[in-house]
Amino acid sequence: MITRRTVAERLPDRWRTGLVSVIQFLLPFLVIGLAWELAVRSGLITSSSLPAPSTILAKVWALSVREGVLWRHLTRSLYRLSVGYALAMGSGLLFGTLLAMNRILREMFSPILSLLISVPTIAWVPVFLITMGLGDRTVIAAVFLGGFFAITYNTIRGIEMVDVSRIRAARTMGARGLHLFASVLLPGSSVSVITGLRLGIGYSWRALVGGEMLSAMVQWGIGKMIYQARFWNDVTVMFVGLITIGVTGFLLDRLLIRWLERVTIERWGMVAER
Amino acid sequence: MKVRRWILPILLVASFLGLWELAAHFHWINPSLFAPPSSIVRDLLRLHVRKLPDRSILLTHIGASLQRVFVAASIGTVAGVLMGVLMGTSRLVHRFFDPIITLLMPIPGIAQAPLFIVWLGFGDPTIITVGAIAAFFPIAFNTAAGVRSIDPQLVRAARLMGTSSTACLPRVYLPSAAGHVMAGVKLGWARCWRTVIAVEFVAAASWGLGYMIWDASEYIRSGVVYGGILLLMLVYLAMERLLLESVERLTVRRWGMIRS
Repeated sequence: MITRRTVAERLPDRWRTGLVSVIQFLLPFLVIGLAWELAVRSGLITSSSLPAPSTILAKVWALSVREGVLWRHLTRSLYRLSVGYALAMGSGLLFGTLLAMNRILREMFSPILSLLISVPTIAWVPVFLITMGLGDRTVIAAVFLGGFFAITYNTIRGIEMVDVSRIRAARTMGARGLHLFASVLLPGSSVSVITGLRLGIGYSWRALVGGEMLSAMVQWGIGKMIYQARFWNDVTVMFVGLITIGVTGFLLDRLLIRWLERVTIERWGMVAER
Repeated sequence: MKVRRWILPILLVASFLGLWELAAHFHWINPSLFAPPSSIVRDLLRLHVRKLPDRSILLTHIGASLQRVFVAASIGTVAGVLMGVLMGTSRLVHRFFDPIITLLMPIPGIAQAPLFIVWLGFGDPTIITVGAIAAFFPIAFNTAAGVRSIDPQLVRAARLMGTSSTACLPRVYLPSAAGHVMAGVKLGWARCWRTVIAVEFVAAASWGLGYMIWDASEYIRSGVVYGGILLLMLVYLAMERLLLESVERLTVRRWGMIRS
């Protein structure tokens, strides 16, 4: 006990607070998992449609390490996510900037945008199924649409908040087009843009899962794994899928977006470092 | 000014629809996959009229979805506000449930549906449960944030003047947190609506706008699919205007919590 404490004390401060917050984060799951496990073991829950956490974890082990199917589902999903999200990012930033910079374009499109935003992304999937087929393209289109609106909307808001005199100053000094965008507009709007990117990846990830479930020709993907489990009423696999979706979504947000924040707005001193 | 603001977008949409109509008419695009606006309207009217003396199929679909949203979102709101108040007033409860909400919130309702189908079967029980869960998270999250951000001086002052700690809840906590709660309720109801439509795709038995769209897409009746999307927009806007804004007027605006 004593040695352990000294080891912990020797760790750098940042690591120690990090470790504490990781433990604090995991503790509730441990408590609930244990209670659930005990309820199943003691015979309080006897239903075959509510497996014990140990059964679910064993399934995670079997699917990921022994058979490797979980990775195949996950990598397929991540591939679709990255293609769709990259498209959403590129076009959302571009479209958002255009709309923010041009009053006529904005007056033309912003009411239409707010109408379209009100439709749930997943509702577009049947449209894509009809027009683009039952395969990858439909799923990627759903991912794209999920991210696109959030990124566009927040880019517009961000650029509208950039001080006009800065834009004028850059213009008088000869900045045009892409140069103006990269050196003035993007940094100036970055806090809002990153909020859009963060919301966007969440929406994209959710749209991906739904799209995979609904597209008949898609065989691999984390959403498909859950959907297929339905045919055997395999609740354990469903739980594995839901946990994978939750954890991956969480990691995408924490690792990817946090990294993006660190190399941009925190380095530029636009927000307080966390 | 107001009129001018609407001219450009309406022109844009009108010319888009006109082009679509022409393209389908001259078979530049396949009209059975890209049903032109005229046949969208025709298909919707047909759905409305077909069994009209008894009932309108279209309105029954809309009614079924709305009913599910109201039931699910109401359950989610009550549970979410309760949970949020608990999380806001007790640090322990907050520490315990915050990680759980963080991890469960990003899981889309449509992915939860298969699990609940196994437990509860197809139809209303599954759709309403998943919808209620969807509404619950943002409401609990925002209520907790609102209650936690209350100035402790207010609570102390109220206690000093003899308000019991249980009476503090409706008199101090809820009114001060009302802005946050309202924001959460808005998010929650919107999310519930989205989720109900999505879950209807996979779990509905015979009624609901989601079911209508999904069923039509399986038989490639594209007019009904596009019409369904249009209805989703209109119903959502109507819901937002009528319901949420009137609730807001009755609560936070009247109490002067946000500027009207």
